[in-house]
Amino acid sequence: MTRALSWFFSLIALVGIAGVVGLFAWQSVPVWQQEGWGYLTGVKWFFRQHQFGALPMIYGSVAVAAVALLLAAPIGFGAAIFTAEYLPRRLRLALKILIELLAGVPSVVYGLLGILLLRDWVYDAFARFDPLSGDTLLTAGALLAVMVLPTIVTLSDDALRGVSSAQRQTARSLGLTRAETIFSVSLPQAKAGLGAALLLAFGRALGETIAVFLVVGRQDNHLPASLFSLRPLLESGQTLTSKLGGSETNIAYGEPKHWAAMAGLGLILLVMTGVVTLLGTGFGRRSDA
Amino acid sequence: MRTFSLALPILALAACTAFAETLKVNGSTTVNLPVAEAAEILRAEQKLDIQVDTQGGSSGGISMLGDGLVQVGMASKPVSDDDRARYPTVKFNEIHIGEDAVALIVSRDVWDGGVHALTRQQIKDIYESRITNWKDVGGKPQRIAFFNKEPGRGTWEVFAHWTYGSPKDAPQVSFPEVGGNEETRNKVAGTRGALSQLSSSWADGKNVFALGIKLDDGTVIEPTSENISTKKYPLSRPLFLLTNGEPRGVAKPLIEFVLSERGQELIKKHGYLRLKDLK
Repeated sequence: MTRALSWFFSLIALVGIAGVVGLFAWQSVPVWQQEGWGYLTGVKWFFRQHQFGALPMIYGSVAVAAVALLLAAPIGFGAAIFTAEYLPRRLRLALKILIELLAGVPSVVYGLLGILLLRDWVYDAFARFDPLSGDTLLTAGALLAVMVLPTIVTLSDDALRGVSSAQRQTARSLGLTRAETIFSVSLPQAKAGLGAALLLAFGRALGETIAVFLVVGRQDNHLPASLFSLRPLLESGQTLTSKLGGSETNIAYGEPKHWAAMAGLGLILLVMTGVVTLLGTGFGRRSDA
Repeated sequence: MRTFSLALPILALAACTAFAETLKVNGSTTVNLPVAEAAEILRAEQKLDIQVDTQGGSSGGISMLGDGLVQVGMASKPVSDDDRARYPTVKFNEIHIGEDAVALIVSRDVWDGGVHALTRQQIKDIYESRITNWKDVGGKPQRIAFFNKEPGRGTWEVFAHWTYGSPKDAPQVSFPEVGGNEETRNKVAGTRGALSQLSSSWADGKNVFALGIKLDDGTVIEPTSENISTKKYPLSRPLFLLTNGEPRGVAKPLIEFVLSERGQELIKKHGYLRLKDLK
């Protein structure tokens, strides 16, 4: 009975996922017919001319998420090493609850904080580079870094705690210092779990909408001249989520091509976060084995 | 007994629909903001049944009133002779409820740098990125941070209408976008070299400054209430409620409310000029 039920409910979940992906795919058919693969590689999005290229938004999403990871990963890993390796059990649990509370703060609150503090800070701190305004990819990335930090800390902490204490004790009894134990035993052993933490954080950063919407500037069709320069991060941009969260979704409704293009953005986002999350959980599994 | 208890609510429902007249209103999203709020108040206070919709904007309001699908149309432009010719039996009655003027606003550094007015050509050049620095229009060297109103905003349409003749003829551009009036004002106030379009009543002259429009002969028209009401300032448009002949039924209290002191406060709340501001 239990088995039948769990099969049944798993099936519901599966049908749900397939249904959502299927719905978005179906809704976006007209835009794929019109643009083909150019929909993914096109650099111009002018809805009044029915020109739909999603690349600048894919770039925007990946750029802000990558900035977020770059900023959050060192801090997150550092914090996780501290909680998992140094703190006594009780303190560790208390701290973990606090961090998980942080993960539950509604994103719009972070967005408001971003407007309040981060935007002006980026605008002033990088004044030398003459950013046009405080709404930049960097601002959005830094804000996302704060938001994904709890995810990284708590998952990395779990991964590190998953390394058996027998191994640690062996290392210590062989004369390794605590730091050496961490770097040559705990971290290598928890590698997969740490990778999973990063991937899941990346997935969360990709999907975050309102906080990004408030500080990214929402500038369409903005691709950097060179991928290997930091300058473009100080310019406004558009992410998949900020586009979908904007006024265009309402305008598109009722106009088949435009709507298809917006649904297509949803599909791209769904696939991107889905793949990253799947990779992340797959990674985590391996470390448990 | 059972049939009776079932029949009673159905009867009551039938009685309601028979007596309560549903007023249908449709048209411009710009006019919709205060009118939908007025409808909300009338619904709560006088139990009037009013449905407000915005299919097709002003043109949708005019044609649906012409077809008799709604009793009140909302428009941010006058009814054209073409429209009147299309519906010869309909007596379009334009009720002026306010005015929407759009100012081009700049941040303090631009204003203090000496830019107080722009010509239409200069605005076009900025919009199409041929001019990207304030020094080219008489200001201090500083990149122009142009925030464009997001698509679908009435403010943008007024701007596009005046600059390019029609929103459809406006070139496609990609600037950082801003949405509501508060957001626009705050971003312009907090950014050096900023320029954007904003409903004129929001330009406070403390944080953001409204530019004048410089005509070909060199005269500068400021977006003052006087210039707006006399149509000297070009970036404005009237807001209308439209009826077929004199307002009847529920349309009457709605229009009376919008023209009343409280209704006019709603006009102001949404950033437009009240009738008394125009005098």
